[in-house]
Amino acid sequence: MLKNQIDALLDRVQKPARYMGGEMNAVIKDPSSVAIRYAFAFPDVYEVGMSHLGSRILYDIINKREDALCERVFMPWVDMADLMRQEHVPLFSLESRSPVGEFDMLGITLQYEMSYTNILEILDLSGIPLHSEDRTWDDPIVIAGGPCAFNPEPLYHFIDAFSIGDGEISTLETIDVVKQCKQEGVSREECLRRLAKLRGVYVPSLYKAAYHEDGTLASFEPTQEGVPRTVVKNMIADLDHAEYPESVIVPFMEIVHDRINIEVLRGCTRGCRFCQAGMIYRPVRERSVEHLLDLAKKLVDETGYEEITLSSLSTGDYSCLPQLAHALMERFEEKRVALSLPSLRLDSELKETLEETQKVRKTSLTYAMEAGTQRLRDVINKGITEEDLISSVSDAFAGGWSSIKLYFMFGLPTETTEDLDGIADLAGKVVRQYFSTPKNLRARGLRVNCSASCFVPKPFTPFQWEPQDTIAQFEEKQRHLCQIMHIKGVEFNWHEPHVSFLEAVFARGDRRTADVLEAAWRLGCRFDGWSDQFSFDKWMQAFEQCGVDPAFYANRRREKGELLPWAFIDAGVTESYLWREHERAMQAVVTPDCRKGCQGCGLKRFEGACEGR
Amino acid sequence: MRMLVEFRKDDIVRHLGLLDLQRTMQRALRRSGLPIKYSSGFNPHIVMSFASALSTGIPGDAELLDVSLSGEVTERECLEAMNRVLPPSLPVTRVRLVEDDFPKVMAALRQAEYRIRLSGEGTDAIVAAIPAFLAETEIMAMRKSKRGEALVNIRPMLHALTAEHSGSEEAVLQARVSFVETATLKPDLLLSSLAAYANAPLPHAEIRRTRLLGEKNGVLTPLIDL
Repeated sequence: MLKNQIDALLDRVQKPARYMGGEMNAVIKDPSSVAIRYAFAFPDVYEVGMSHLGSRILYDIINKREDALCERVFMPWVDMADLMRQEHVPLFSLESRSPVGEFDMLGITLQYEMSYTNILEILDLSGIPLHSEDRTWDDPIVIAGGPCAFNPEPLYHFIDAFSIGDGEISTLETIDVVKQCKQEGVSREECLRRLAKLRGVYVPSLYKAAYHEDGTLASFEPTQEGVPRTVVKNMIADLDHAEYPESVIVPFMEIVHDRINIEVLRGCTRGCRFCQAGMIYRPVRERSVEHLLDLAKKLVDETGYEEITLSSLSTGDYSCLPQLAHALMERFEEKRVALSLPSLRLDSELKETLEETQKVRKTSLTYAMEAGTQRLRDVINKGITEEDLISSVSDAFAGGWSSIKLYFMFGLPTETTEDLDGIADLAGKVVRQYFSTPKNLRARGLRVNCSASCFVPKPFTPFQWEPQDTIAQFEEKQRHLCQIMHIKGVEFNWHEPHVSFLEAVFARGDRRTADVLEAAWRLGCRFDGWSDQFSFDKWMQAFEQCGVDPAFYANRRREKGELLPWAFIDAGVTESYLWREHERAMQAVVTPDCRKGCQGCGLKRFEGACEGR
Repeated sequence: MRMLVEFRKDDIVRHLGLLDLQRTMQRALRRSGLPIKYSSGFNPHIVMSFASALSTGIPGDAELLDVSLSGEVTERECLEAMNRVLPPSLPVTRVRLVEDDFPKVMAALRQAEYRIRLSGEGTDAIVAAIPAFLAETEIMAMRKSKRGEALVNIRPMLHALTAEHSGSEEAVLQARVSFVETATLKPDLLLSSLAAYANAPLPHAEIRRTRLLGEKNGVLTPLIDL
């Protein structure tokens, strides 16, 4: 019945392929053959969610269990969501088109703050009570993980348990506990207490937060015996032996990253001070070349994809990159599989690898410079110089590339007008480098795409104490940038400061921002990451309704020693390390890559971490 | 050598557009292990074409894909290989191997057959009007094409039309229509013309393409058997 209802809706929406299911390699299991039915939700549309590697890994890991099945759930686009409400069709999984509310567990991945209202929309469309305390065993246990789980507080009211850190093992442990609890017939509360005892699992209903009069956090304590004071993140020490999918779903419709994605390493040792991923995914762990080649072969055979991406935070840092790239090219040239290397660090062993990849296809090259002057790059510890950039693009232009992307941030701590002018200066130098390349070597049609995004201070970074620029400050800097970025051959884009402002509020929000989130959703906010759906006015109305000042979270400088809402999480990097890095930033002192000498970030406390270094 | 692949596009994937279907077939062909021919040039691609693009939202019982091969292989091997790499919603029903100089199936297409399940208000009136509709020699309708809209006589493009009642305001129509570049009658245009002729509201319609036909010695023949 539900299946027919869904089918009828598909004739009435844009992009029905988002809701179709039935793709090659989707896993269909008999629900009566398993103990736990796990719905895995990505709080954005299909083509975004299907591009996310972590979800693919967990989908595969859960479905490898005989006693569990995992089905996918995505956020229906607004046309479909409205139709579903109107026709009383509950949110459903793609594989069996079953109502999400009927699953035993609902996992939600938290990739960016601006998807938070979609989480409320997903719960509501599924008929699951919004608040954890209103749920019963008739509802799934709602678990969330992903990078944003490192400050889970803005979602504390809506999520039963957070899984913090690497999910490969934690996800299976949470399934074991829920299965056991259901078999024993214990209460839902008891199940949550048991989950809280797992490493890396945070159950917000078992903790209490109290605030000072000035609004800062006064205390954060467990409310029961046996609930850990500190939640220690999960970490897979041996990535090479961690599960990795050997077959992935091949979507019918085009998705954002429509190719084979192979994670060559996890973590990053560079220590860029603005980068949360570089801190929370420590330490660096690599997969072996043999394993990666084997995965690549299996995935090419299983999917028929024509492109492979080597992904990680910093693929250029993979210790055997030239060897891997060479072997991949050799092996797949005949099958016409192209190799692309995103987020390639320009100060890495680039040249040789570039010569390998150009044999098959020339894509555009991306350089994340992040700041316009050497001084500011030293502040953020981005160890790249102008000479690095110019020598790399010089090689690229001579090698036949003509499309370059440059990424910058503005609003970084200590930034001045000189730093903004440096952005235009660098873009201009790239253009001049192109024209000084001999005509017979360079390809035609120079395209320099230069984009600047607004800096958002994140938890567990050395800038977690820093204020974000106000919207007015961002807009003034933006006007300046637009004036100086009129350079022939350069296309300049910037990001909307209003969205970044909200991102800053929720990145470092506490429990009181959960009320704002709910109020905003009730006012109709959803898909806030999509500019055509985003409504800043509604958000401001929500803050007002709740008596919460967003500037307190976004634009306030935190003092050293302030109890931060996420301080109960042990993310690996210690607060003393982060503060030390903060101080060095203010003095524009760089910290070398920790592969060249331990910087004492705190990861050595973890068993098996940083081995052989 | 070329292989003609007859496949079904099931209801659950009826919303696949031509581009999605093309990509799905290309990836399946790459996985199949069959000796697929690639075009030469800077960006080599698989040499393949569909006999006819099936509109988004319409399932098909016997669609046809024409693929160039670079080596020897049997029809049975092709059939098995394709069904191993395609999702269950896109099964291959037959494969026929032909020589490279065999006429392009796309050019051989003459007519298409549709089954149209009607339900709701307007169905009975439409069914009742069919004999009179068929007796006309001229039915003018606004036909959309790449060059814009034009008023054309669609009656010569309709070759057969039968109806079977399956209940009150429920019926199944079978229609055979022209399908050549200069004269193609789309089933939705046929339906709206029928409704207008019967002075009835447009009922709910589930359209399914059942056959693609060419001409062999003056006899209508399924494309794969030409």
